[in-house]
This record gives sequence, C-alpha cells and structure tokens, in this order.
Amino acid sequence: MYRLGIDLGSSFTKGVLVDENNRLADVFCVRSGYNFNNAAEKIIAHFTEKHEVAFPVYTCGYGREQIKVPFISNSELIALSKAVFEIYKRSCSIIDIGGQDTKFIQVNSQGQVEKFKMNRKCAAGTGSFLEEIAFRLDVTPAEFTKFAAEATGEVKINSFCTVFAISEIIGMIKNGASLPNIILGIYNSIILRSSELSLVEGYVVITGGLPAMHPTIVSLFKKKYPESDSPEHSQFLAAYGCVLLNTSK
Amino acid sequence: MSEKTTQDKSELVKLQSAGELRKTMDGYFSRLREAAETGSRKIAWCTSVGPAELLYSMGFEVFFPENHGAMLGAGKNADKYIPTAVAHGYSPDICSYLTSDIGAFLQNETPLQKSGFKSVPTPDILVYNTNQCREVEDWFSFYGRHFKVPVVGIHTPLCITDLGPEIIKTVAEQYHRIIPELEKVAGVKFDIDRFRETVGLSHDGCVLWKEVLQKAKNIPAPINFFDSAIHMGPIVVMRGTQYANDYYKILLAELQERIEQHISAVPSERFRLYWEGMPLWYRLSNLAKLFAKLDTCIVASTYCNSWVFDDLDPADPFESSALAYSKLFIVRSDTVKENVLDQLMQEFSVNGIIYHESKTCARNSNNRFGLQNRLLKRNGIPYLEINGDLNDPRCYSEEQSIIAIETFIDQLSGQIK
Repeated sequence: MYRLGIDLGSSFTKGVLVDENNRLADVFCVRSGYNFNNAAEKIIAHFTEKHEVAFPVYTCGYGREQIKVPFISNSELIALSKAVFEIYKRSCSIIDIGGQDTKFIQVNSQGQVEKFKMNRKCAAGTGSFLEEIAFRLDVTPAEFTKFAAEATGEVKINSFCTVFAISEIIGMIKNGASLPNIILGIYNSIILRSSELSLVEGYVVITGGLPAMHPTIVSLFKKKYPESDSPEHSQFLAAYGCVLLNTSK
Repeated sequence: MSEKTTQDKSELVKLQSAGELRKTMDGYFSRLREAAETGSRKIAWCTSVGPAELLYSMGFEVFFPENHGAMLGAGKNADKYIPTAVAHGYSPDICSYLTSDIGAFLQNETPLQKSGFKSVPTPDILVYNTNQCREVEDWFSFYGRHFKVPVVGIHTPLCITDLGPEIIKTVAEQYHRIIPELEKVAGVKFDIDRFRETVGLSHDGCVLWKEVLQKAKNIPAPINFFDSAIHMGPIVVMRGTQYANDYYKILLAELQERIEQHISAVPSERFRLYWEGMPLWYRLSNLAKLFAKLDTCIVASTYCNSWVFDDLDPADPFESSALAYSKLFIVRSDTVKENVLDQLMQEFSVNGIIYHESKTCARNSNNRFGLQNRLLKRNGIPYLEINGDLNDPRCYSEEQSIIAIETFIDQLSGQIK
C-alpha cells in the first residue's frame, strides 16, 4: 500500500507516492488553479489509477486544508526540512524558492528546525516574479536557461517591485542591453533577494519549483555557496516530507 | 500537524467581565457625547500616553484619537478611509492610525455614530506628548488647523538610555508650560490638589492594570494578549478616573477566580509566547483563534504593558508624571528595550517571542535594528517575525503569516519535547 503526500502550493500542486520503505516511488504535478480540491483530485486520480493508495493523505501548502478526502495537514517548512534531512542526514541551510514564497530554513544535526524566515509580503525574488517577467518578455523557462548561457556580462536589476522591475528591464532593452545579460541579471537579483533572509551558514540545499525549472539558478547558487546541492525532485520534497513526518511517529 | 477531524480548539472562553467593560466604555462615551452636545464640559483631545491626568484634573472630557484609530481598525474599516487621507497628501507609509482617522474624518464617518454621536466630539484643545512618536504632532495639527483650536504638546527626548534628572526636569517643565493655555480653554484655574488626586487615581489604576497583566504569569494563564488588547480600553481612556479603577477590580477578581478554578484563556495551553509590537486590529479575533487552535497562549506583550505608569506619585505629581511617561518602553533605547523584553520573557515563562513588524509604525517595530538577534543570543528564546500593520490590512499577508506561525509552533514543539 502506498502513501500519498500532496503539497498544495500557490502555483502548483505537487504529489508524491511513497512506498512501504519510505522511498519516493513516483511524483506528479498539476497547476493549482483556483480550486485546490480539483488539483488534489487530479493528483489522487493519477496515482490511484495504477496503485493502491492509503488514506488519509498528508498535505501541506496554502491549500492544505482545502481538500475533501481525509487528510492530515502539516507545516510545509517542517515537512521540507524532514525530507531534506532524510536525504542529507546533516545540519544544513535550506533555501527554497516557490511560486509565492522564498524560505530560509536552518536545520540542526538532529534534523530539527532551528530557525526559519520567509520573504516579506512581496513576490520579488519568487517564482511569480520570474513568471511575470517571462510572460512580459515572451520567453519560456527553457529559453531563459538558453539565454542565460549566452550572457557575456550582467546587468543589475535594482527594483524590489515586480512591476517596476519590468519597467526597469524595458528601459534596459531601450538602452541596448542584451536579453541574455538581462536574464542573467534577473537570476542574480533572485539570488540576492534570497540572501537577505538570513545569514547562510554551513551546507546549503537549494529546493523548490523555481530552481527545479531553472537549472541556471542552481549553478549560480552553487557558485555563491560552493558547499551546496539541489536534490532531484526538489519541488516535491515538502510533499515527501509530509509522509515522512507521519511515518516516524 | 492538524487532522480534519480534530475537535475545534479555537473556541475561547469569554471573560465574564466583558459586560462590565462594555458598560464602563459606554459610560465614557456617554459623558463625551453629552459634553459634545451640551457644551457642559470642555473637550480635550489627548495622545494615548499624553498628560491625561492633567486634563482630567482640569475638568476636561478627554478624547483619544488613537483609541478611535484602533476602533476603525478593529471594525475592519481602516482601508476604506486611508486612501482619502493619502489623496490629501498623507503618505500611506506613515501611521495608519493617523491616515485612517483623518480619512474617516474627511469622509464624515466614525464608528461613534453607532453610539449616537453626530461626528467625533469637537475639540476645544489638542494635547500631545511625542514620547510615542513625532507623528502625533502632525496628526493633531491637522485638527488644530481644521477646528482653529490650540494645539499644545510635550516634546520628550527619544531613545532614552539613562533616564536622569535632566530629562525629568525638561519634561516636567513642559507640563507646567502648557497649563496657562489649558486654563484659558477650560476657564478654570489649575488646582494642584485636584491634580494630585488625579495622579493618585491614575497610579492606582495602573497598579491594578499591572496586576491584571501579571495574572498571566500563572501557568496556565487566565488571560491572553487578545483579551488584554480589548480590556485595556479603560486604562487608555479613563486613566486618572475612578471608573477605570472600579472596572479593573472586577476584572482582577474574575482572573483570580479563573486561577483558582484552573480556567485558562487558551483551553489547552502548551506554548507561551510574548507579543512584541502593535496588535493587528483587523485580525485580532482570527489570530486569537489560530493561537488557541495551536494550544498557544500569548501571555505578555509590550503593547499592553505600556500602560503601566506605576511611577506616578501624588506627592510629586509633575516630576513623577515626567518620569512615568518618559520611562515608557517606546521612548527608550534598544539597550533598555532589550533588558525590559528579556526580563518580561523570563517573568512570564515564555517559549518564544513574536515580533510584529508594523509597516506604518516604525517606533513600535523593534526588530529593525537587530534587537531580535541580540536577544536570541542572550536568552536563547526563539523568535518569529510577522510582517503586517496595526490598521492597514493591505500590508498583511494572512495565509503566509498562518504558515509562519504554524511552523514556529512546530519548531517550538520539536525543541520542547
């Protein structure tokens, strides 16, 4: 019998299937849209088509209590820490960049959360920031990565506000800055924004939907923090942690 | 973690004294309304930690615009009024008590209209003390210009570390200096015996209020921050009157009874927190329920403790007023604030502290200069920062804050096991 973890986030709902040995058996992701229950049902339908799944399911994220099947909800930060500790088994600093939140979590050598911080009430530096800019520039995430690789230098994006950042970028284009250099600047502004959350110490683990979709971000983080890693399926780790949290008890 | 089937723990037991509180506050507003309608007494507007004792001793009815601002916030109407003040040139980044109050005034609306007022009671004079912030002077000056009435104030030095005789002297002198203008408006001579009596009443009221707050040292606490933020009404607006003192005797008796009967503010108190900063008036009830659901009681706060002026002394009314109102937390340096917070956190046996960084109230946001990290290093008590505002709900992300609060409690849970 498999267990199901679902992270109902602001942009995407991520589901994981966990086997009896606590191994990640499968992952699946859909857009959250306006109805978290619909998103969760799609996840459940996807997994139950081929597997026998136990209920309750284990949830976290903004829509964690907005589903109709039996569930146990969890804090996504605690769940994420649990999953990261399960993988690395060491104290570390987690930087997680999701659709709407950027999170910093300090995990101690026992796997407990020592300290955490979330971005202020502003989407700059989150996935939404990048999505909005990508939409305005008419560039896909894959193209973002391609363009960033072509950068010959970096332009600095100064604005905190997503909308004003776009005006700033339009101004840069007008003044002849190249798109690859601008995109590298956008990536670096995200890294800079995340570094404001807290002093980052020790081993760094980079997680979340944004790093998963933008490998250049991970490379830039690794350059900044040489002792770092971004695990496979990093945007699914909070969902995975939900199951683990309820297994260890 | 929470299960869908978990029993609703957010049902809080209401204090029985709430009925008496309503009567006491109704009485205050009735006296103000009568003065406004009949002219039987002069009306002074005063800042919340201004020289209320002096005004009451000279026969004024006293109206507190900050209390009015909190009413606008608690009524979830501030965001309806703030844009009007902003359109009149007041920045959305300054005190949202100010912008919501001035905005409501410009729209000729007030929650007092539900209590029969035509509008806010017209002032005969406005009296401030800048001990809490400089914005109060600008706030009162708006009304001074509008009503063409005098605005007088006390300018207290800021960021005080050593509260020595020089500061006491300069503040006490300013108390003396505003008296002639008050006499002119009140039409009565200042009476030192009446002032001593009022200062004495205020002292006694503050001591009673302190006792109320200190009941939360009990484990489990019979009262929490969200109750106190409501029940502090009389000490804010009736400080220096018998009305406030009578009410707090009733409340104290109920809290003592709760302790004896093991009735707690949060039904299953497991975590005890300190609240640093302003309340989020528009989310007071939601937050009270959220914390109760998480078995968490906010047992102490800087905000509610700010109305404990127990240094007031009828034997030396001017100097003791200067001392009491300059000793106030908000007017002290970070060094003093750190000591005060550490002491209160120890006294109330807290497991954690929440800093509310209020977008429009820098003076009441004490996590802006690293104090939170210094205090963590000093006492090892974890903290959480919440971004919001006292009155402007547009500055607050509720969902994000709920996730942060739930995570913080989970974090404490891991550490307390």
